[in-house]
Amino acid sequence: MSRKLVSLVVLLLMLLVFALPAASQTSGEMVPTIIVHSVTQAERPIEYETTRLVVENMRELGLEVEHRAIPWAQMIDEIWFSRTVDSAVADRPFQMTHWRMVGRPERSDPDEFTYNLFHSSVRDGGYNFIGYNNPEYDALAEAQRVEVADKEARLDIICEAQTIIRNDMVNAYFIHPLTPQVVNTSAFNPDSITTQAGIGVHNFWTWIGIEPTTDDKTLITSTTSFLNNFNPLEIAGDAPSRVTEMTWDRLMRINPIGVAEPWAAESVEWEDPLNVVVTLRAGMKWHDGEDVQSDDAAYSFEAALAGTTQTDEDGNESFRAEAPDYYPFARNVDSIEIIDDLSLRFTLKTPSAAFETSSLAKLNLLPKHIWEPIINDLLEQDDADVNSIQEEIPIGSGPFKYVAYDVNEFVLLEAFDDHWARPKIDTWLMNVLPNQEATLGQIQSGEMNFLWEWPGDPGVLQQIVDDNEHLDIFSAISIGFNYFAFNVRYAPFDDVTFRQAVAHTIPQEFIIDNIFNGLAAPADSFVSAALEYWRQCDDLPTYDFSIDGARELLASAGYSWDDDGRLLYP
Amino acid sequence: MNRGVITYIAGRFLQSVMVLWIIVTLLFLLFRLAPSNPLASYIDTTFTKEQEAALLARFGLDKPLGEQYIIYLLNLARFELGDTFSYSGKSVLDILSADLPNTIYLTLSSLLVAYGVGVLGGILMAALRGSLFERVGTTFTLMTRAAPTFWVGMLLLTFFAFQWKLLPSAGIAPAMVRFRWETEWDKLLSPVFWRHMILPTFTLAVYLHGLPLLLMRSNMLEVLDQDYVTMSRLAGYSEWRVMIQTAARNAMLPVLTALTLGIGYSIGGNVVIENVFSWPGLGRTLVRAVQQADYPLAQGAFFLIALIIVFMNFIADILYSLLDPRVGASAQAQVS
Repeated sequence: MSRKLVSLVVLLLMLLVFALPAASQTSGEMVPTIIVHSVTQAERPIEYETTRLVVENMRELGLEVEHRAIPWAQMIDEIWFSRTVDSAVADRPFQMTHWRMVGRPERSDPDEFTYNLFHSSVRDGGYNFIGYNNPEYDALAEAQRVEVADKEARLDIICEAQTIIRNDMVNAYFIHPLTPQVVNTSAFNPDSITTQAGIGVHNFWTWIGIEPTTDDKTLITSTTSFLNNFNPLEIAGDAPSRVTEMTWDRLMRINPIGVAEPWAAESVEWEDPLNVVVTLRAGMKWHDGEDVQSDDAAYSFEAALAGTTQTDEDGNESFRAEAPDYYPFARNVDSIEIIDDLSLRFTLKTPSAAFETSSLAKLNLLPKHIWEPIINDLLEQDDADVNSIQEEIPIGSGPFKYVAYDVNEFVLLEAFDDHWARPKIDTWLMNVLPNQEATLGQIQSGEMNFLWEWPGDPGVLQQIVDDNEHLDIFSAISIGFNYFAFNVRYAPFDDVTFRQAVAHTIPQEFIIDNIFNGLAAPADSFVSAALEYWRQCDDLPTYDFSIDGARELLASAGYSWDDDGRLLYP
Repeated sequence: MNRGVITYIAGRFLQSVMVLWIIVTLLFLLFRLAPSNPLASYIDTTFTKEQEAALLARFGLDKPLGEQYIIYLLNLARFELGDTFSYSGKSVLDILSADLPNTIYLTLSSLLVAYGVGVLGGILMAALRGSLFERVGTTFTLMTRAAPTFWVGMLLLTFFAFQWKLLPSAGIAPAMVRFRWETEWDKLLSPVFWRHMILPTFTLAVYLHGLPLLLMRSNMLEVLDQDYVTMSRLAGYSEWRVMIQTAARNAMLPVLTALTLGIGYSIGGNVVIENVFSWPGLGRTLVRAVQQADYPLAQGAFFLIALIIVFMNFIADILYSLLDPRVGASAQAQVS
């Protein structure tokens, strides 16, 4: 009798101990209203519509959901600067938001997304704004950086990383945009247009390879954004970046299939995982006629590393880089040794598999005779860095040189005759054209012959190409992607099952067919299908669109619904 | 000029300065209270907390609001509008002083067309009062006044630029021509520039001509009833001479005032047209600056527009006191 009583008491106590924490949390409580952010309809209609659709579907789960559409500049405050309860600029930390990453050539190495989007070290201020914290994942993100020599071993790590992220469903990827671009193929030979993996036809290889079919060797394109500045040490948005990569050469360049290959360098040879010897091509010239030499190449990295260490009142030391945009890409360089006029040796601090892609193929080569005085001058000032510098006529060594530009109107480039890869066109012109209708009118009338940037409805482009015989549309899967990001720090998005259930409410196919008019590819990872090599993984987990499936998933994890159909915590 | 007029002008001047001060204070507060972050254009995957702090410090955004305000006022008093967030190596003044002439050319030429057509049309309508011409004309004018300018602009673009290829569609000149201009005179003497101006000028004039036309018409009708007009007629002058020399000259006064004010308001109101025609002027920079949360540039652009409007108002007041002695006299009665 007493033994029975004791065991019953023990059992009761045990039950109580196990039940208590659950009860003190949220058991049976209603899941509170969820706010989903996106930009406004006026700003980017596609993103707004997608979000509206998903919000509708989430309501089917028994959730109260509010769609908060605000301008991008305001999103920065409510998402980027509102990660935690303590640091939020807005009333509260964000919960779920539509977000997108854009494709850039240097992102064709998976390192940037693998590390910067999810590593716990960049949780507070960096791009891991969702607050993902997984030591197992951190180890993989670090390991793939070090795996320099064995590309297959690195592939395995990248695959595992993708699987973890897909299982944990911290970001619900749904599409990689197709970038539609229109070229006047009566002015240019269509076979001479190169599609770069993940980027599209508006890339360096097209600019130097495109063949005019007539005597008019001018390529005319436009941008809706402004041409803020042309500075080899500043990353100033999409359109200026397109121009700087044409006018400043790099030691390596990302080739059309997404791999870094020697460019201004004749050879890049790794002596061991920390030392790499780079030999420049002979006979290269700067646009002002001076020779390009190894000390220029070395200085290009030294300029990116330049800065001063400052100590504040509390004795904390902080480093202020003169070129804050490029400093991160050079930071791993420990020392540079000049071997002779054309060759130099880089010694790294830690082995880095991405060094070729995100450093050698990223940093612009600078003429030391121009930039050394500028940087030295900046080092003596406290309140200025390279972002305040604009050369009158910038000097690089790329296949195109500057003729003239006006920040609000145009940039005009000319082929550089002394370049070993002289372009087949003579002149390259980009006009600032904020009006989309004018852009369409100009490509149809022939005033413009290369339309690379189209923020509007992709279906409209298809229409004008159908109507005009001299126009052709080109489209490629982007490296970039659109997704919903969850703030995994707080309930209910701290629960993986809940996130997976939300993922089931995204009608991927419907979005592609109806909102993107077919001009998007399904996405399931932060590594785009465009980067074929890094996608040779076993199939990633799928989350088919199914409201019922989502409800079952929630039910199996202990979620329930009250009489009004509102979702309750387990 | 009597003492009354001088006192009146001095009073108006002080008033203008007060108005400007209120405007700049509002501008300052509006931009800082607006829910957008100036770092929006800088966010990148490689962005760190240190970079963020460095950027804020570089633009003085880490200082307390009061301190920022004092710095801002002191700089404005010296006409220092600061550096932009988004253009490197350029001050706000650099950007705006490149834009302002383009806006002024566009504004002045469209006002010229609009007021030329408006005044003549108004006289004609008053003269032909009750005719079919007058009825159709008035309706047409009201319609153009109501039509959104961007819509008119796009229609003109579609037909004149793209369909018939008669006129250029965007900008102030092709870059190939444009980059050879070294001074403002090169631009003004270039026929290409004026060709590019035709469509935006016309679009703006379509909108602007309604006010002078209707104003002129009603003033004319009023004046035509006056005794001195009847006297002129009795004196045997020809009908046209009566209309133009006697009636129109008197009916013009309010139209001239409207013109002075119109210059001010139009400079700020070209935003839509400048965007439709990719015209590199103040309005387009303004839109861009607001979108990018580029405080100094947007503040500078708004300040410049406000300055022009307040100044033109001031000029209108002075004109009034000179043209109509009663204005100054009544002001004197008020102050003394």
